[in-house]
Parts: sequence; structure tokens; C-alpha cells
Amino acid sequence: MELTKNITLGVYLPGETAIHHMDPRTKIIATVILITLLLFVKSYEAYLVFLIFTAAVIIGAGIPLSYALCGLKPMLPVLVLMWVFQLFLYATPDAEVIFSLWILTATDSGLHMGNMITLRVIFLFTVTTILTLTTSIVSLTDGLEILLKPLQKIGLPSQELVMTMVIALRFVLILAEELDKILKAQMARGVAFDRGNFIQKTRKIFPVFLPLFINAFKRAEELIVAMESRSYSGGRGRTKMKTLRMGRVDMAAGGIMILFAALMVFLIVSIPSQI
Amino acid sequence: MPIEVTELSYSYKRGTPFEKKVLHEVSLRIKDGEFVGLIGPTQAGKTTLAQHFNALYTPQQGRIIVNGCDTTDKKADLISLRHDVGYVFQNPDYQLFAPTVGEDIAFGPKQQNLNSTEVESRVRKVMDQVGLDYNSFYKRDIFALSGGQKRRVAIAGVLACKPKTLILDDITAGLDPRGREEILKVIRKLHCEENITIIFISNSMDEVAELAERIIVIDRGRIAFNDSTRLVFKQSAQLKAIGLELPEVMTITDRLSSCGYSFPTTVLNLTEALQAISKNLAEGRVND
Repeated sequence: MELTKNITLGVYLPGETAIHHMDPRTKIIATVILITLLLFVKSYEAYLVFLIFTAAVIIGAGIPLSYALCGLKPMLPVLVLMWVFQLFLYATPDAEVIFSLWILTATDSGLHMGNMITLRVIFLFTVTTILTLTTSIVSLTDGLEILLKPLQKIGLPSQELVMTMVIALRFVLILAEELDKILKAQMARGVAFDRGNFIQKTRKIFPVFLPLFINAFKRAEELIVAMESRSYSGGRGRTKMKTLRMGRVDMAAGGIMILFAALMVFLIVSIPSQI
Repeated sequence: MPIEVTELSYSYKRGTPFEKKVLHEVSLRIKDGEFVGLIGPTQAGKTTLAQHFNALYTPQQGRIIVNGCDTTDKKADLISLRHDVGYVFQNPDYQLFAPTVGEDIAFGPKQQNLNSTEVESRVRKVMDQVGLDYNSFYKRDIFALSGGQKRRVAIAGVLACKPKTLILDDITAGLDPRGREEILKVIRKLHCEENITIIFISNSMDEVAELAERIIVIDRGRIAFNDSTRLVFKQSAQLKAIGLELPEVMTITDRLSSCGYSFPTTVLNLTEALQAISKNLAEGRVND
């Protein structure tokens, strides 16, 4: 039993591709642009173009396609549920009924809405996963810090904010590892997590979360001690060992992003919404 | 509960770029009533191998048959198998989750749907076995216990399931000498009096030398040695090459023999060492 196998968010996959060597700021900005574009995509054609682009980036970064997608596996039940909800509950006044089931009616507009929203979540997840898979935690922090620095002027503690965010990302994997250990310890004493009815199954979850939270707090406390013992006192006046520098790769990436964004905007505007 | 492992291989995170083969075609047998030491450097695959014995991992390649039950069999009753093969984990913090000592020990038997008097009597018995006083510890808060006490509660919680085989995963790590001695006394008693098969994973060669009848040495996912304790520790050069040390007693007797003492080939514990030294002195082999 391995829980951590399918967790790809927050994992760094070391590599030597152009995407790995890019300045983290370029990658973060590109990710933000892609996410923004996604929020406006409302046609299958545009999604197809987006799919081709994303696939190219995944292959270009040397990430095995199966690995990039396996992070979606744990999310599958949520995705299906979301799709079903849209299918039955969303309907425009002029929608055509596909089929009726008891008091539920599925319409073609609900079907399209379900498809669009599910695709959107899948792509949002994939795009952010590509960022974390190709960017080490250190450069991710550095890049975000610089990008959010202007916000310090309006009193936002950007450095602390970034630190918190990055720690949270790291803890995803750590907590999954701890959960794996706790589940094993309980299975070893005869708990069958897959047996029983819904209520019985739910009741088995509580004894799992107690040690998980306690260990999480313990971890957090250890981290605080480790940071304080090295005199961490927030971002003010800290200098960097490595200064970030944009290079040719970033120029090229910027050019590609502008072209792609233009193409997407064109598609979004010219193709009528299919919802 | 004889355990039969044939050509077992396991890769961690199989199918991802992080795939790492941790067990390579391991074959071994453990008979009833044995006391087996499982040693090897860190990351050698000891824990992964041992967690196959109670079906926490199922083999990716090869087979494991525990008491005639193949763990890859979809219809196998893994729950009762896990009660028969108890596993005490490296870190008790992952194992203990109930608020009080009594509730935590009772957790295993309760999964077996026993009635409350039976659960109660089992809890009493195992607390006595591991040397925890029932009246003063039953209602004690788990998180207020010392490291040694937590280990005892962890062992008691597993014993309460009445295992026939007990896997102990480095349970003396981080304990002070007295805590360690007391835990080992409990283990020895369980093996001798209850005739429980013990699989003892440890990083302390002294403990393994003193307790185990047979030793299995794992190195980078392969079995390096699988023989009686005496014969394994005879291979001092190879053990050192793997990154393991000899028991402290043996290091001392080695030194003494270079000063003119004579010892039998391997000395595994203090009693044997003392006998040999006094024999040497009596024979007048050395001066002082």
C-alpha cells in the first residue's frame, strides 16, 4: 500500500530541460496567464488547442505523460460528482432534454456545462502540477517573493506569505506519508477500511485523523524551532545567495506565451460559447 | 504460522519517475517458534520486507504464503492474518491513537468483535505481560507517557490481538539502557513462555546477537546472509563491508585475543565472554 505514489502536486521532478532551466518568475507568470485563459475558455475547439499546448509542454519538460496525469486519480470521484451535478442541475431555458430519470432531467446545456467545468478543473490541476514538477521549492520561493514584492508597499507581508504557501505545499506530501504510516498501523491491528456500510466506514476515519493532526502540529513545532534556531526573523533585510536572472530561454518562452495567449484570445472571442 | 517467501520483488512508487526497486527476488522461510533477527543497513528494505509478512504490502512479483494463505489471493482473510501476525511499528507515535492507554490496547480485540469481558481480560493480561500496572495505567493519557512506556503500550496493543507471530520493527531505538533492557526482557519472555515466533528487526548488533537464533542480513534489497547467529557473525569482514558492525562483545574478545587470550570462534554475549576469560585466566594463559 502506497498512498504517496499518486501525489504529484508539490513534488519536484529534477531534470535538465529548457523548462527546468527557465527563470521561476517566467514560469509563474506563464502559469498565471494559462490559468486566466482557462477561466474564459467556453468551447471544445479552444480546449483542444489548450490540450495540444499542455501536452507539448509536458513532453518538452520530460515528464512522463502517465505521471503527469496520475495526480488526477485521487480526484476522480470529485470530478465525476461535479460532472453529474452539472448534467442534471444546469439548464438554460431553451435547452433540449436528453433523458429524464425520476425527477432529474439531463439537458444538452447541462452536459456541455459539465464537460466544460470538468475539463477546466483538470487543466487547472495539470498546469499547476507542471509548474511544481519542474521548479524546485527554493526557486519557486525566490520567484514568488520577487513577484509579490511590490505588495509590501501596501503593507502585505509578501515574504512571510510566500514562505507559508511553500511550506503548505511541502506539507501535502509529508502529511500523505504520515497518513500512510497511520493507516498501516491501524490495518495491522485489524481495521478493514474497505469493509462495512457508509456509517461504519466513516467512523473508522476518526481514529486516523487524531494522530495525523497531532503529528502535524508536532512537525510544525519542530519546524518553528528549526527556523528560529537559525535566526529566521521574516523577510526584512534578507539578501539572496543566488540572484535570479532572465536568459534567452525566458525570452523565447515569453514569445511563445504571447503567441499562444493571442491565439487563445482569438479562439475565445471568435467561437461562440458552447454553454 | 510458517512464513514462506519465494522470489519476492518490490519496487517503490512503481510506474512513476521515482520508481526504486527495494526488494530483489528475496526467498526465505520462517518456521514456527523461531526467533529471527532481521538486520541490514538503513534503506536495505527490512521494513518493506517485514510489512509483506502481514500483507500491508502485497508482492508485485513472487509469492508469500503465511500459514498456507497466499497474500495475493483476493479471497484471503487479511484481517485475521493481521491478527495472527502482529506488527509493532518503529515509531509508537504512529501506532497509538486512542486517548487513554486502556482504550488503545483494547482497540485490536474490539476489531475482532469480542465481548467486553473478554476484551477487558485480554487488556489486563497483556498489560501485565509488558509490565504496566493495570490500575495506575489503564486510564492514563497516552501523550503523557515516556518513550519506554509508549513502546510497552504499543507492544501490548498488538499482543492483545493474540498474535502467533510478532514482528518487532526496531523497537528499542531511542530508549535509555534500562528501558531497553526491560523491553527485551518482555520479548524474551514472550518467546520462551508463549512460544510466539519473533521477527526482530534491529540496528543493534548486541541485541540481535543476544536474542536471535537465526539472522537474516539484507543488503540493498537482497539477502546477504541467512544462517544461525553464530555463523553469520563469523563473517565479520563481509558484515563490515556491508556497513554493519560486530556486537560489542565480539570487538572486545577480538582485541583480547590479539593480547594472547584464546576464545571460541564467536562469542555472542557477556556470559560466554566471561566464561572464556575466566577459563583463560585459570589456565594461566595470560599474566594479568
